Amino acid sequence: MITVALAKGGLLKDSVRRFAAAGLDFSSLLDPVNRQLRVESACGSARALLVRNADVPVYVAYGQAQLGVVGYDVLREHALPVAQLVDLGFGGCRMSVAVKASSGYRQAVDLPAHCRVASKFTRCAQEYFAALDLPVELIHLAGSVELGPITGMSEAIVDLVATGRTLEENGLIAIEDLFHSTARLVGHPLSMRLDHGPLQALVDRLAALSATPAAAAIPTAPTPVPAAAVAT
Amino acid sequence: MALQPAAGARDLNPQQVDGNRTLVSELAKVYRLWGYEEVAPPTIERLETLQAGGGIDGRELVRLATEEALGLRPEMTASIARAAGTRMAGRSRPLRLWYTGPIYRCRQADGGSTSGGQQIVEELQSGVELLGGASAADDSELLRLLLACLRSLGLGQKHHTQLLLGHHGVLAALLEQVPAEQRTAARQALTGFDFLAIAALPLPEAQRQGLQRLMRLRGEPAAVLYQLEQLLGPCALLGNLATTVNTLASTAAAQGVGLSFDPSFQPHFALYDGLVLKVVCRGTDTAPVEIASGGRYDALVGRFCGLVGKATAAGMGFSFAVEPIRDLLEATVRAGLGSHRVQGPILVAYGQLSQLPQALDQLEALHRQGQAAELLSRPCASAAEAEQQAIRRSCSSTLWIA
Repeated sequence: MITVALAKGGLLKDSVRRFAAAGLDFSSLLDPVNRQLRVESACGSARALLVRNADVPVYVAYGQAQLGVVGYDVLREHALPVAQLVDLGFGGCRMSVAVKASSGYRQAVDLPAHCRVASKFTRCAQEYFAALDLPVELIHLAGSVELGPITGMSEAIVDLVATGRTLEENGLIAIEDLFHSTARLVGHPLSMRLDHGPLQALVDRLAALSATPAAAAIPTAPTPVPAAAVAT
Repeated sequence: MALQPAAGARDLNPQQVDGNRTLVSELAKVYRLWGYEEVAPPTIERLETLQAGGGIDGRELVRLATEEALGLRPEMTASIARAAGTRMAGRSRPLRLWYTGPIYRCRQADGGSTSGGQQIVEELQSGVELLGGASAADDSELLRLLLACLRSLGLGQKHHTQLLLGHHGVLAALLEQVPAEQRTAARQALTGFDFLAIAALPLPEAQRQGLQRLMRLRGEPAAVLYQLEQLLGPCALLGNLATTVNTLASTAAAQGVGLSFDPSFQPHFALYDGLVLKVVCRGTDTAPVEIASGGRYDALVGRFCGLVGKATAAGMGFSFAVEPIRDLLEATVRAGLGSHRVQGPILVAYGQLSQLPQALDQLEALHRQGQAAELLSRPCASAAEAEQQAIRRSCSSTLWIA
């Protein structure tokens, strides 16, 4: 049975909708009275695990779920060995460097060396500032990172920005983007290699439904295999 | 004071130790039948040896705080290749060697996130190395030995056993068609099963689609080799592979072991430069269980040979991960895959402390008969109480001295 790890929160509705279009109905996860963390699809041929965002690649990397849907930001931050299969296109946002609007910094390189940068995504931030050759002191926060510059604990933050409204309402501005993130369909590499068809067929259906059909069905041009080649 | 073992380290109970020993001895029996001799590579090696010429990421090595750059072995092939090229250089080839013992690897919890901790993982391995032969016959011997081991362990259709094969040379030949500057990225994307990375490669559409088709190419070996011949043209490499596959196809089928050739498959460690393999089972859980892996590593052997031996250096091997197999076979092992764990010992019990010498004499008399027996460490009031103690201690029966 195919198991899919789906992230709670903003991506859930679109994920359920996309899987429904591909033939697997997990809509019971959207029922506000549902408290089950593992549900079967309406057809009974697959099941979904409802997990936190950052746990999706963990369940997939350990092979407990063959497929998962999670933001590219989470994949970059946790760097677990999962196969990136399809860019699903929804859940778009930017990973940005933001500062106090009144600070006068207008690009990341304006920040003073060894300044403090608060983030939930410290690995992404570390890689970005290392590439800029700008030494910074990273502070890991679990949420509400906008408070870093407001309280004076940090000069800047690295965080996800969707509409920019939270930044604006807290007197911050985004000055540079690290990358653009969208929801990705990820897979357990070994399960994909051991698959005899059904898993790849589901991936193909999801790819065909996506705005950027990166892994859309490529004609496999099945060459007829002569009996002599198969007989051993 | 810490009461638990360090993260990743194993603290095994008697049943687990017994299970491991049963499996290791079953495998050793098969290795010996095939003419393999036991070696015991060192647990501690120079980091330069352990990194296997760059095949193993230094971050996965457990380093020791010593003056010399030393570490704990993350696998045993590099140590055996070193010994074969130096201490055993004068022995006639091929060398057929087997080993068993723990290996140690460093793992970053959470894939290396700055917030994750470092774990040292200890695993018990058992494996073989065939050194000095580079013919298709050696590849076939190793694969048939692997199947014989699986048969001896009772792993087949019931456990959905799959033997996944790949070949370093085939992948390299396929990547020849990609411009040199994109080859490393294309290889990484193919072996990492990263469709999106392939889509992002700056290649002409036809080449990109070719790579996407390649990533989907896997399955029954003869059919896949036929497809590869259409792509690469007839060549000796594919011919040898077909011969190797032919020598194991019917045996694998008879044992219920599925065979699959996957040109984009490469194992975790980049030690290998020829045929590569992995055995995967499925238990009651959804996740596949990797129980064995290996491959051909001629260049690694060459690193430890003199200039004269370099040209003919060859080696191939595989290792079993014993503990995942033990978990998979738990029920079978309990029923006695081996023959040495049939019943519990006899409990020797006595009513008075003055009867202790007599009880010890009886205990040793049982031992002399080859019967396992243990002593009740304090006198007990009655034979009935002794029976109760025997049940509590999983003993088969009681010898009551009154």
